[in-house]
Amino acid sequence: MSSGSYEQNPIKAFASEVWGSVFRHGLPTTDKVAARTALTNFFLHIHPVRVKKSAIRVSYTLCLGGLSFFLFIALTISGLFLMFYYIPSVGQAYQSIKDIQYVATFGLVMRNIHRWAAHAMVITVWLHMARVFYQGAYKPPRQFNWVIGTALLLITLLLSFTGYLLPWDQLAVWAITVGTNLGKYGPIVGPVSRYIMLGGRNVGQAALTRFYVLHVIALPLLGFVLMVIHFWRVRKDGFTGGL
Amino acid sequence: MAQEASSVRNARRAGMITTRGHAVRTGPELSSAPLVVRSREEEETVVTFPHLVWKEFLSGLAMMVFLLAVSVQVNAPLLQPANTAVTPNPAKAPWYFLGLQELLERFPPVMAGVIFPGMVLVGMVLVPYLDRNPSRRPEDRKLAIGLFTIYVTMAVAFVIIGTVFRGPNFSWYWGQVLGHPGLNSKV
Repeated sequence: MSSGSYEQNPIKAFASEVWGSVFRHGLPTTDKVAARTALTNFFLHIHPVRVKKSAIRVSYTLCLGGLSFFLFIALTISGLFLMFYYIPSVGQAYQSIKDIQYVATFGLVMRNIHRWAAHAMVITVWLHMARVFYQGAYKPPRQFNWVIGTALLLITLLLSFTGYLLPWDQLAVWAITVGTNLGKYGPIVGPVSRYIMLGGRNVGQAALTRFYVLHVIALPLLGFVLMVIHFWRVRKDGFTGGL
Repeated sequence: MAQEASSVRNARRAGMITTRGHAVRTGPELSSAPLVVRSREEEETVVTFPHLVWKEFLSGLAMMVFLLAVSVQVNAPLLQPANTAVTPNPAKAPWYFLGLQELLERFPPVMAGVIFPGMVLVGMVLVPYLDRNPSRRPEDRKLAIGLFTIYVTMAVAFVIIGTVFRGPNFSWYWGQVLGHPGLNSKV
């Protein structure tokens, strides 16, 4: 690692320069280096430099918030691959799912990952909310972050619900028919809300188009923005811990 | 000095100051609480990189292994192509909405579809503003924890009932647990 060897080997010196320009600091061998790395790295900047030891105990957080975010990333990536093949048309959607399962390389496992991660995310987000409640972590000054969290739970449910329709099989269409029927009892906007959701009176092409656009663009984008604010506030308010 | 540190801790436990030592503005009753400046050595801290990042990495890795293992073994469901002329019986909403479907089975639509879910949704959003208790200790929060536990228990119970115990016409059904009588008898 001495600089002398680099001077003798220009390729190594160049590689070292490139590496050093990307990663400004080495491995966290001391607290000082670790702190500088966390401060200057974009991805690590999501965290404060130091945290209370009690706040990051696995038995305290159960990793539920982090796992929810991880599942969101896993869903985004697997969903991207599914989008290469999926056709949001009443006539072709079902066949494109069959193609994903039987023709596309690793398509079956990619669809399975997407499906099971979606169920898992509903569970982890919900458990994360329960964990935060039981630890009273929503108390001042974190009240509004709880509100953002409930919005994120709602978006998670809507993401899962809109994705449910896309395979256009019997399970999808009838679950959405029953699900949107539940919404029509809502006050004032109830009967209208079903019409707006489906873009008509029945689950048809208009509903598939709406659910597809909401599922792949609108809801993930809205969810991502709220997540960024959620994390930013966690960082600014400090981690709770210490119960 | 130790006494001072413990008073900081007590104030924080009581929710009167934040982890950064800012006084919390929750109302006039707390405005007389002393503003306590955080003392660094009071609670043990670690650098997030690598301590927290490492835990996040391991939990993500574990989840990825779990997801892959499940996805290799169990296929996502895909039934017959959609046919609006053939209604499956029972027709069920996705599992996380089965609680709502269960409510509609038991109560008139206005209560099940508007009042109950509305109360849960609005109540959930307003939790931090309704709960004026500054303490975070479970022994001080018996009411809040009790109410939330009732909600959690009912939500989980309704989802399990909707998934397992609701058969044709969404009526009560033991078949999934005990086996369908028609499948066992030689009729």
